[in-house]
Parts: sequence; C-alpha cells; structure tokens
Amino acid sequence: MSTEDTELDERKIVTFTLGSRLFGIDMRSLIEIREWEEPTPLPSVPPYVKGVTNLRGSVVPVVGLSERLGWAPSELHSRSCILVVTINGRHAGFLVDEVQDIVVIQAGEIQPAPDVEINEQGAIAGLVKIERRTHDAANAEAMCLLLDLDALSLTRQVPDFA
Amino acid sequence: MSDELDEIQGIFFEECTEGLAVAEAGLSAMAEGDASSETIAGVFRAVHSIKGGSGAFGHAALLAFSHRFENVLDEVRGGRIPASAEVTKTLLGAFDILSDHVAAAQGGTEPPADAAMLAQLDAVLESKGAVAAAPAPAPEPVAEADEFGFTPVAAVVEDFDPFGFEPVAVALEDFAPVEPAEPAGWTVRFGPSRGALGNGGEPMLVIRELEDMGAVVTSVDIDSLPGLRDLDPEDSYFVWTLRVPGTVGEQDIRDCFDFVAPDSLIEIDREEVLVAIVPEVPVTPAAPVAEDDDGFGVFEPLPVPEELLTLVPLEPAPVVAAPAAVPAAAAEKPKAEARPASVEVAQTIRVDLSKLDQLLNLVGELVIRGSILSDRLSPADQERVELPELSRLTRQIQDNVMSLRAQPIKQAFSRVPRMLRDLSAETGKKVILETIGEMTEVDKGVIEKIGDPLTHMIRNAVDHGIESAEERLAAGKPAEGTIHLSAEQKGARIIVRVRDDGRGINRERVRAKAIERGIISADAAISDEEIDGLICAPGFSTAETISNISGRGVGMDVVRSNVEALGGRLEINSIPGEGTTFTMALPLTLAILDGMIVRLGDQRFVLPLANVIETVQPEPGQVKETSPTSEVIELRGQYLSVRRVGELFGMRSQRAPEDSLVIIVESETAGHVGLMVDTIDNRREVVIKSLEDNLHPIRGLGGATILGDGSIALILDIDALVATGGSSKYALKGMAA
Repeated sequence: MSTEDTELDERKIVTFTLGSRLFGIDMRSLIEIREWEEPTPLPSVPPYVKGVTNLRGSVVPVVGLSERLGWAPSELHSRSCILVVTINGRHAGFLVDEVQDIVVIQAGEIQPAPDVEINEQGAIAGLVKIERRTHDAANAEAMCLLLDLDALSLTRQVPDFA
Repeated sequence: MSDELDEIQGIFFEECTEGLAVAEAGLSAMAEGDASSETIAGVFRAVHSIKGGSGAFGHAALLAFSHRFENVLDEVRGGRIPASAEVTKTLLGAFDILSDHVAAAQGGTEPPADAAMLAQLDAVLESKGAVAAAPAPAPEPVAEADEFGFTPVAAVVEDFDPFGFEPVAVALEDFAPVEPAEPAGWTVRFGPSRGALGNGGEPMLVIRELEDMGAVVTSVDIDSLPGLRDLDPEDSYFVWTLRVPGTVGEQDIRDCFDFVAPDSLIEIDREEVLVAIVPEVPVTPAAPVAEDDDGFGVFEPLPVPEELLTLVPLEPAPVVAAPAAVPAAAAEKPKAEARPASVEVAQTIRVDLSKLDQLLNLVGELVIRGSILSDRLSPADQERVELPELSRLTRQIQDNVMSLRAQPIKQAFSRVPRMLRDLSAETGKKVILETIGEMTEVDKGVIEKIGDPLTHMIRNAVDHGIESAEERLAAGKPAEGTIHLSAEQKGARIIVRVRDDGRGINRERVRAKAIERGIISADAAISDEEIDGLICAPGFSTAETISNISGRGVGMDVVRSNVEALGGRLEINSIPGEGTTFTMALPLTLAILDGMIVRLGDQRFVLPLANVIETVQPEPGQVKETSPTSEVIELRGQYLSVRRVGELFGMRSQRAPEDSLVIIVESETAGHVGLMVDTIDNRREVVIKSLEDNLHPIRGLGGATILGDGSIALILDIDALVATGGSSKYALKGMAA
C-alpha cells in the first residue's frame, strides 16, 4: 500500500536553531510554538528548568534546551521562542533560538548520530540533510540534528511497588 | 450490540469488585469471631451474585468455582457447618482464588489453578455436613432476589408497575370528586372578530365577566397568529377557550357576549360533547396573556404548551378506573418489601469517575474565570451584589462536586485486616489491629492513591517494627503486637496514622547503613529525626535478610514520593523500644485551596489559609537576628522563629523587616513559625494544579495555581517548607537525568 509506505517513510519535522546548529523534532510531538515569556521560577530545580508557564490552564515547565544539552544558555532575543511539546503524555516547553521551517524527510535518509558532545546520551537520534528555504544556493543544504525528546523527559521515574 | 454487552459486562465486573469487597469484609469479620448470621449471609449473597453474573456472561470457570464456593457458604449459612476458625481459613483461601478468577475473567486470561482449593472446599463439605453437596441454594436466593442487581428482571418490572401509575391516580383523584358533584360544565370558545379591538370591543371585559361567574380560561388558541412582520396590532388573533361551571345557565353566558361584535366566534357547548384536558387547571398561565392582549400579548411567551390547546373528546371511564384498580391490586400483593427496594434503586446512580473528574476540572476552570472576571472589574463593580452571589454559587457547585467524590476512607482501610493476617502467618508475629475514624470522608482520588503507601507502611511495621513474641515478652510487652490505624480530619488535611508498638527505629543501624550506602557522609551531624527520615531515602533498606514482605529498599522511598505526589507529607516519629508512628498528612481535596496570596519581589505565592494564624507588621527591632542566618520575632513576649520566604527560594531580599509582613503560620513539624513576605495581595480560592503532571513534585511546594491574570503562583507547603528550612537536601533526589 503506497499510502502506508509514505506514512512509514516520510516524517515531518520542525526545524529550529540553537546558536549555529540546526535541530529538528518530530512534528507529531509539537503542541504549539509560543513567544518567549519569562516563566515563573521554581525553587530546587536544576538551572536548565527555567520555571513554569501557563499553557491553556495547565502548568508546564520551561526548559532551556541549550543548557539541558550542556551548552551555554541561549541568549534571549526577539525571535526566541518556546516549543511546547508532548513527551510521553506530559508537556514541556523548550526555549530555542529561532524556529525555521517544517520539512519532510525520509526515514531512510536519517544517519546514525556520531558522538556529539552533549550532556544527555541518546538525545540526538540522528542526522539528516535537509534543504533550506533560501535563495543562497551555496547554503541550500544543511545538516540537521534530530532530537529524541524521550531522552529529555523531565519527570522523575517513580519505581512501581513491586 | 456488542458495545452494549461490553458495557453491561463492565457493570458486572464493577459489581464483582464490590461483591468481593463485601465478601472480604465479611470473611475478615468471621475470622475475628463474628459468626453472626447477617455476616455469613452477606458473604453468601456477595458470592452468589458473582456466580449469577458469571453465568450470564459465560465465564464458565468463574461460574464453576463460585458455585462450589457458594455451596459451602450455604451450608455455613444454614448452620450445618460451623463457622469455625478452620472453616473460615478455608473460606478465606477460597476467596483469594475467587478474586483471581474474577481478575482472570475480566482480563480474559487463563483462570487460576483452583483444583486444590476445590478439594479443600469439598473436604469441608464432606467432613462437616454430609448432605450438603447438592446445589441447594437456587430456590432460596430467589426470595432475596431484590437484593441482587442482576437476577430478577421480572421482579423489577413488577415493582415498577404501581409506581408508573400512581402519580396519575393521585392527579386525577383531585379532579374526580368535582366532576360528578355538579352538572356538566360548559365549554365556551370566544374569538373576537377582526376589528373588535379597533372598535373598542375589549375582549378582556367579556372574559372578566365570565370569570366572575366562575369561568376559567383553559386555553388560548393562537393558530391564526401571523408572523411578526404581518402582525396588525389592532387586529385580533386569539381564540380563548373557557370552562364555565355547569351551574351557570346558558343564557347568562350568552348575556356576557351582548356587546361583542356579531361576527365574533362564540361557541357554547355542554361538556358531554367536548371537554378540555386540563391537567393543571392553569388559571394563571392564561391570565397574563389575556391582560396583555391590547397589542402586546403577542410578545409574551405563551406558557400554555400547544398540546394542551386541542380539545379532546373525554374518555373518562378507563382513565379514572385504572388508577383506582392498580394501587389496590398492588396493595393486595405482598409488595411491602418491593417498595423500599425500588426507592433505593432510584436514590443512587453509577457514574463513571472520569465524568466526575471532568466536572471537577470544569468547576475549577469556572473558579479561575470567576477570579479573572473579578480582577477586571472596577472595585465598585466588584462590590455589587451579583459578583459575590456568583462566587457563592460557584463555591456551592464546587462543594457539591467535591462531595460527590468524597468517600469514607474505610475503602482504603478495609484491605488491611486481611493483609495483617497474611503477614502474621508469614512472620509468625501476632498482631492486633485497632482502627479509628474509618468513616472519615476523603476525596476518591486520595483514597485510591493511599492504598499502596498504606500497604507498605503496614508491612514495614510488621516486618521491621513489631518484634517476635519472645522478644516482646522479654521487653515486658504483651506477646501480641498492636497496630493502630487512624484517620482524622484536621483543617484542610486528612491525617492518617499507622502506629506500631514495636522496637522503634534502630538509629545506629540506620545511620551505619546510610553511610555504607553513601547516602550521608560518615561525619554528617544529623538529628534523630533526620535519621528517621533516612529510611525514606531512595535505595535504603536495613533488613539484614531480604524478606519477601519488605526489605527491597524501594518501599519507604515510594511511600514518601506517593504521599508527596498527592500534595501530602510523610512524617516518621520513633521512640526506641516503644514503637514508630508514620503520619501521612494528606490534602482533603486535590483540587481547591483557600489561599492567601502574598508577594515577594515580583512573584506571587499562595499560602494555604488553613495554616495562617495571624499577620504581623513588625515594629523596628521586633525581628532580631539570633545568628547570621536565623531570626526570631518577639510576639507578646514569645520568640518565634522567622523565615524569609524569599531566601527559602533563593531570592535574596534586602528589605528591612519593618517594610515586610510576618505571617504567623502553624506547622505540624515546627509549631508556630513566622514567614516574612513583602506584602499580602488578597485572599482567594485557588485551583491546585499539580506540578507533577508535567514535571515532578518539588519539596516545599504544594503545587501551583493560575491567577486571574493568567500568571502562575506557586503554592507553598508550609510544613515541608519550615521542616526543610530551605535546605534542598532532598530536593534534587531522583530528578531524572
């Protein structure tokens, strides 16, 4: 079945930048993109948890993605925004520098990630080459790091009563 | 169709769960020596109804087992087998298998191996009551049928018959005596001519005159009323129907119409031919229409339903006769029992819990919208009566929704006795259970979530707390250990305690273990209370041998995180040699909190009002430093410790105490403590939004809430806050990488 094949092979990703790097997350995890707004800070949380914000009546943590990955904090500017995503049914907002585009990639084009120096093992699910929306022919292609959101889950794992 | 069946099956399994709970409670009571016939009958009925349903839904294995189980119970109920301790033990064993059977039937899995249990049941049957094996119970339960939800369909239908008719009978009886007492009444139809109003022929006058003679307007025919666009205000569109008492002469009626234009519709008929069906003798509904008729009546929503406007030939005989006959017949039948039974049916309904949750969420949103609205109004408008009234109504809805979810905590306690019996059997320790306050009502969500922590605390108490009989006797204690289980409501919290009279926490060993596990450093100076708290540290277990009851070292950690996830706190109090008390302080509701909104810098926080005692504006010098990091406030000769809330949250404030407010709060752990904040905003009910929905519980915070302007305020958990003193000793524990 051709439709099924496309569903299996094609993936829509949302691309955004952190500093000079280009990242992508699966479109299906994205709930909304909102402008940066100072969240309410929380006590006794790691520095990368910037606080909590009100997402349509529920309290959602806001995470500095750059710090979460172990890099220098993003500087805030007019295009800073929060990607609100769902990770295993829980919501979280990630502060990113700039949202770029929505692109369709083929699952087969994803290459395994080489060792990337970050905090979180497994956070980079792979690399993929995407076409940029630009008139600059030299920069038409770019490398995009695909994030595995599951690895960035914020909730503590409470062991079950065994 | 299959959906419906699934739904009914769902109800069956719900009833199974309830039945199992009843059976368990009954068997537990029997094990404690209560062999009263009601108790035994209760167990029998529960098992019987499970059997009945399982047959109906084709769960053969469950049916077969419950049938054999029921046989034995029936013998016990009939007194043919004594409810001895031995028999009760077998019954308890059979109950376990029955639970497994139900679970298997529900999950569609393989039924449990029950051969051994069946053999035991048969042995009981054979040894104690020789004649018992036949499936005797069948005729008996029919007598009790109305107590079972699903068996007696026929009975239910019968029950409803009298009720279906009764209201009709009552209604008509009111009319019945009137009718034969006087000559048949008149029905008068009166439709003023077109132009009657233009000529000054006021129909109202005619109707009044008729009413003076005892006439009643029974209906108004508005069929000819055109749309608003075509309406001529001077035209006449209505036709009134009046019922005039039969005692009035026809000529008298005609006289009323003397001055009415001759082309008007006037019909006067005896009621033998036509009668209006008048269910409510509505004088009032019709009257305003008539009065307004001078052109405006058309805008009035006519209160008389259309159906009532038609004239229907009367068929008095069957209607009047039927109600008289049915109650009589019903009374003759021995239906005395059926009545209360069906009343009961009408009084409770089953509601899917998720629907209640949804309702609760909606009410929460309503409360938030209410505060947003109130924030946006000018102070003068806020004072107006509508807003407080709206808040009061919202509050009432809230309370009602909450009460829908409140359940006695007994539901969580009920599984404890049985668990204790198993534990006693496994450990050889004898334990007595004392329960207090099991009727305390708690939110259903809380009850569901304290089950596991409670189980673990009890296991812990038996396994680690209570000593062996010899040890106890040597220590001068009774050989049997005691566990007190209590629940009480204290302010906005439910306090659940598990107290044992065992050996208490061995602090030396806990400390040694904590050092060995690297939980604390070898030279850590920690208080006894802190040592006690260590048993809740992740990965801590002191049991020398890992028993299969507790000792895997996940227990108390999970207990604490579960309790904290509920917005509650877990406290441990231990006196060496005398025992240990675990106290869970849980919020009464998981949803709404009466709070005081305070400000610190540009952030707002919510203090639970239940903790607040008073607010003090300190005089210069009233707050004194006792050390560089601690302060006290002198209040009526007493020194109370003061915490700067900002510092607890890592916000350094240079504000002088005189410019701040000190809120005296009561805490479970540290008594009265002052909290220093910048200002107080107001008092407000807030909807608690859990942090753990999307993050994880944070010690010192009871959650967050969304204020009227959409911003978030954190809710302070006073007890945890003053207990931790702002140190984040445990705060980072377990944070997922």
